[in-house]
This record gives sequence, structure tokens and C-alpha cells, in this order.
Amino acid sequence: MIKLSTLFWLVLVSTTGFAMFAVKYQVQSFEEDLNRTKKATIEEEHAIRTDEAEWAYLTRPETLDEMNRRYLSLAPIATKQLRTTLTDIPLRAPTPAPVDVATADTPIESGPPATPAEPITPASLQKPTGVAERAQPAPATATTKPVVSRRPKSLDELIAQVAASR
Amino acid sequence: MIATQRFEDNPCRPRHFKPPPCAAIVPDGPAKQALEACRTRLLVTGALFALVFAVVSLRLVEIVLFEGGTAESQLGRLRIVTAPVPSHADIVDRNGNVLAATLDSPSLYANPKQIVDADEATRKLVKVFPNLGAAEVYAKLTSGKSFVWIRRHLTPAEQYSVNQLGIPGLEFEHEERRVYPDAALTSHVVGYTGIDNAGFAGVERALDGVLKERREPLQLSLDVRLQYILHEELQRVIDDFTAKGGAGLIMDVNSGQILAMASLPDFDPNRPGAPDPGNPTVTVADRMFNRNTLGVYELGSIFKIFTVAMALDYGTSTLTSTYDATHPISIGRFTISDYHGKHRVLSVPEILMYSSNIGAARMAAATGGQKQKEFLGRLGLLKAPKIEISEVAEPHFPARWREVNTMTIAFGHGISVTPLSFATAAAALVNGGFLLPATLVKPPAGSAPQGQQVISAKTSEQMRKLMRLVVEHGTGTMAAAPGYLVGGKTGTAEKVSGRHYAERKLLSSFVGVFPINDPKYLILAMVDEPHPNKQSHGYATGGWTAAPAISRIVQRIAPLLSVQPVDETSPEVQRALMVESLQGKRIEAY
Repeated sequence: MIKLSTLFWLVLVSTTGFAMFAVKYQVQSFEEDLNRTKKATIEEEHAIRTDEAEWAYLTRPETLDEMNRRYLSLAPIATKQLRTTLTDIPLRAPTPAPVDVATADTPIESGPPATPAEPITPASLQKPTGVAERAQPAPATATTKPVVSRRPKSLDELIAQVAASR
Repeated sequence: MIATQRFEDNPCRPRHFKPPPCAAIVPDGPAKQALEACRTRLLVTGALFALVFAVVSLRLVEIVLFEGGTAESQLGRLRIVTAPVPSHADIVDRNGNVLAATLDSPSLYANPKQIVDADEATRKLVKVFPNLGAAEVYAKLTSGKSFVWIRRHLTPAEQYSVNQLGIPGLEFEHEERRVYPDAALTSHVVGYTGIDNAGFAGVERALDGVLKERREPLQLSLDVRLQYILHEELQRVIDDFTAKGGAGLIMDVNSGQILAMASLPDFDPNRPGAPDPGNPTVTVADRMFNRNTLGVYELGSIFKIFTVAMALDYGTSTLTSTYDATHPISIGRFTISDYHGKHRVLSVPEILMYSSNIGAARMAAATGGQKQKEFLGRLGLLKAPKIEISEVAEPHFPARWREVNTMTIAFGHGISVTPLSFATAAAALVNGGFLLPATLVKPPAGSAPQGQQVISAKTSEQMRKLMRLVVEHGTGTMAAAPGYLVGGKTGTAEKVSGRHYAERKLLSSFVGVFPINDPKYLILAMVDEPHPNKQSHGYATGGWTAAPAISRIVQRIAPLLSVQPVDETSPEVQRALMVESLQGKRIEAY
């Protein structure tokens, strides 16, 4: 019994000792790693400071002006270029409602699709057909003509085209 | 036991004889007592040891489980390398462009006692530093001392080359160096430092303590782009009119922040004492002289804006008042006359438009010297400007403010002020009447400038209209920048030479504000001793020298400052800048 307990304590002591030293050396190596990284960071920071100063030197107005004269020949913005503002630009004509590819191909409305005249047509005539056409998926008509033949007039139309082509 | 002991003690016992084991002898009597005592002592000692071990192990458990703390709490005990803090914080412009940086700049020294082959070391070193004398280096390396400087402040490339040489006995000393990437561009504002990075001029000197304590860069109100434009245009005027020098500044009239400030000729703060290769005749002292804050000048006619503002604010004149400018005024030994005079009775707007000395003198005389002194004092023109630069000069003005002084000061003679003081006061005339202290440091976001009302808002509005007239119809037509509504005033002062005013030595200037209907920026340009050229038809006045520069500067900086050009002929603009008293009258061209 005495021998067994002695053995137990011996194992415990040696394990603890080993663990302790293992942890200690690990901490030391972490410390060294940390210091190495810190030193590297400091060096990087110094390099960044130097680079920032160099950047400031290379982008000083004098150099940029000279570079511009040599390669770009950009001129200061003239007053007349600034005369018109965003508010001076007229708004775009109201974009026509997204037209289905199927509607565009149907010969019901004579004339080009999505003409400004379209909204003028009586709602009673227009709406049901539109709803009906839109309600039923028309893969058959869409495949008969290549969808990309027309340039999309709005983003919605473009998305519709892309969706149809897949 | 006793028997055994006796036996063993016996030197004559047989060698391998051991007493046979026998039953334990139970002592009795005194032997038993002694044994009992021994056992008790052993027990006590053992218990004591056990107790100590128990305490130690309990303490261990306590430390490990309860007092260990987090990993972070142990960081303090670690020996971790920390970055050396630069001795001075960087200086950046309002957009964060570096104007002054502290860089590591190792210095190379040698320990001659460790140098093995001085001959070879000298040869290699001279190859890396071609402008080091071979003889000098050799003498240093064979001096037998243990420390000699080879070269101070190496560039990173030079340090690399020296390391590549691999000469034992050469060492680097960590040193710092202040570097100014923009060189001469911001020289007078930022200033420069000595070898140990102590500030010698400009912001570097005035805010040396602040820069030492800060870690974050110090942000100035300067804008390098505007500074460059101002610098370039001033240089152009100086070249065009072969002037001695020039100065100028751009100020935000609603905050007092200086966006650009240049004084020419200037110097390279990286090499403050070095001569200018392009212009070797200019002395170092002249180049280091900050004309904006350290120079005091009789600024001439641009001072008339103060005279008019004073008369309007005190109510001694209105815009419809008239003054007789038919004949020159003779007072004491002075004769006050007009340059290109109209020789008739002039109204207040006309006095400013045509820059009439006689009219301004009469206006000031009507207001009185006491009020004039009080008014100029209120605008801060009778004391040195207060700004984050230590190079500031006190103004010169007469100790006894006589009538003749009142009259000459009315048109800017007999009083010398710094261009900075002038600009600060002029900004107050147009911004609604608030005198805002000029500053070179960008205030933190959200802080409102603390101003002091020095003239009424109504006078300020009238001054804006009058200054617009000067550019529209008066002496300052060349300062016009289409769309930006420049208003301003020309100035042409004769410089004092000895005891007289020299007609040939002029100080031409222009103070411009734009957009004048809602003033945002003030530009002051001053040219020292311009000479007439062919394009200027023999003139070197403010209207011919500084005014065109203002026009160019406005057109270049307005897009950068996002000032939207307006249609100058639009009814709203015309109405906003209308001077009622001139309505329906034909305005004579200057």
C-alpha cells in the first residue's frame, strides 16, 4: 500500500513538474514571439512613416503639376464648365412601362412597341391584355425571336431579357 | 541492543559476524522513556512539516485557481519591446497631407579601435559617400579614439549600403530628423528645426511644446493645393514685374482660418541656411523673413476700406455723402493729391471706386482722429497679430494722432501694419461685422469660432456692395473672375525711402473677397517694388499687378473650394449688390 501511494505521488510530482516547465517554456517562447512581432511591427511602422513622407514628397503639387503638364495636359476647370448644374439638366422623358417581350411581338398594337402613345390608349382596352399576357408565362413566343435583338430601354427590361434568355 | 552494540563496538569481533536476529528487546526503565521522547519529537516535527507543506500546497491552489487572473493581467510583467515615440508629432495640412514628419535617420560612427584595415574601410566608405574626403576619413579611422562620427543623418539607402560593406567597427546611432516633403512651399508657416529637432521658426517654434507632447499629427488649417496656387501666382507676378518680393494669404472669412499663406522669396526648411541656386543674390535673412506676419507696411489705398467703413459705421457719412476732391489738400508739409484724380466732388462710393486720397482724407477728417484710432484699435490693427507663429511684428503708428495723421492714415500712409492684421480686419468688414482671430490650426469639427462684433451688419453689407463696385467699375476691374463675384480694393503705396516717399518704389496690393454677395474667402496679394512692364503700359499699381493675380487665383481655387459660379447679370445678383445711391446714374469708368 505504501509503495502504491509513493508511486502515485511520484507520478503526480513529475507530471506537475513537467507540466509546469512545459508551460513556462511555452510562455517564454510566446514572449519571444511577441517581442519579435512587436519589433517587426515597429520596423513596419517606421517604414510606413518613411513611405508616408515619401508619398507626400512624390505627390507634392509641384510634381503633380509637372507630371500633368508632361503626360495629361489637364487644365483647371473653366467657369463655363461649372455654369450648368444638375438642376439645369432637364429630366428625362418618362420611361415607358416595362414591356414584355411577348407584348412587343404581338401584332395587336400596330406600330413600334413602347411608343409614348401607348399610355394614351384607353385603359379598358390596354389593361386586360397586358395583365393577361403578363399572367401567362410565354416561353413559346419568347424563343421564337432572339431576345437580344433589341436594346433594353430600362433596367427592368434588361433584367427581364436576361431572365428570359436563361 | 546493548549487547549488539557492545559486540559491534568490539574491534576484535570476527569480520563477517553479525549478531543473529532475535526478538525485539522491549526496553524498560529510562531507555523506554528516552525512546518515547524521541517518538514524540519526531511526531511534532513531522506534523510541523506536514502543516507547512499543506500551507504551501493550499497557497499554490489558491494562486492557480483564484489569483491567477487573466492572461492580459500578466502582460505588465512581460518585457515587451515598445516603439520609440518620435520626439515631435507630425504636421499635416487640412486634408492630411504631410507637411513635416519625424523620420528615423541613423547616424554612422566608427570605433577606430575595432577597425582592422583602415585603408580598405576608407576606400569602401568613400565609395558609398562620394563627398566624404578620403584623407579625412582615414585620419578619423586611425585616430585611436573609441568614437568618431563618420556621417550624420543617413538615408535608408545609405544605411543599407553601409551594412552591405560589412566593416566591423562601424555602428549606427539612432537619431531623428525632421523632414519637410513640400520644401519651400509652406516654409514660412511650418518653419524649420535645428539639428536636435528644436523648432526655430514658424509653427515648429511657436507650438514646439505641443508637438513634443502630441502623438497624433497636428492638423493645420492650410490647404496645400491652395498654397501651391497662391505661391505660383505670386511668383508669376514677381517675375512679370521684376519685383523684390511678395506676400499673400487666403483666409476663410467666416472662421478666421488661414487656408494659404506665402511669402516670397522663401527658403527650403530642409536646408534652411543653404543659398538659393536660382537666385544667389538674395540673402538668407531676406528669404526667411515672413512678410505676412513679421513685415509691417504702409499698405496704401487698400486701407480706404477701413476709412469708409468707419465713416459709415459712426454715421458721419452715408452712401450719398459727397466730398470735394477738386483740389489737393495742403496740410503741414504734406500735399494730399489724387493719382488720376477726377477733380470734382465725389460721392462715398466714388471715393472708393476711383481710390481718391483727397476724398478719403476728408472723410476721415470729418469723422475725427479719436474715433479713427478707436475704430482701428477695435479692428485689432494697433497691436501685433495673434497667431500660431512666433514671428509677429507690432504695428507702427503715430504716438500723437494729429489731424495730418488722421488724413494720411485714411488712405493707408502713416500707419504700418502686417498683411495678416490687415486681412483679419478686412474679413470682419465683409463677413457681417465679426472680428475672428486668425488661426493656422484647424479647429476640431463642430467648434464655432468666437467672434466679436466690430461693425454693424448693415455697414458690412454696404462695404460688400462698395467693394463689388471697385471691381465692376473702379480701379480693380482686372481682379474680376467671371461668375465668382469678386469684390475688393486696390492699393498702391509709395515706400518710404529715407525721410521721403519714393515714387518709384511701390508696394502694390489687392484685397479680394469672393463671392461678395455671400463672402466666403478673402485673398490678399502684395507685391514689393514691382516695375512696370510692356503689358502693363507703364503701370505697376495694385490694379495692374496684384489684381490680375487675384483674378487668376479665384478662378483656380473656386472649383477646389466648391464655390458655384453664378450668372453675374441675373436680376437676383444685381439686386443683391445694388447701390441705391448710384441707381440711374451713369458710372464713369476709372
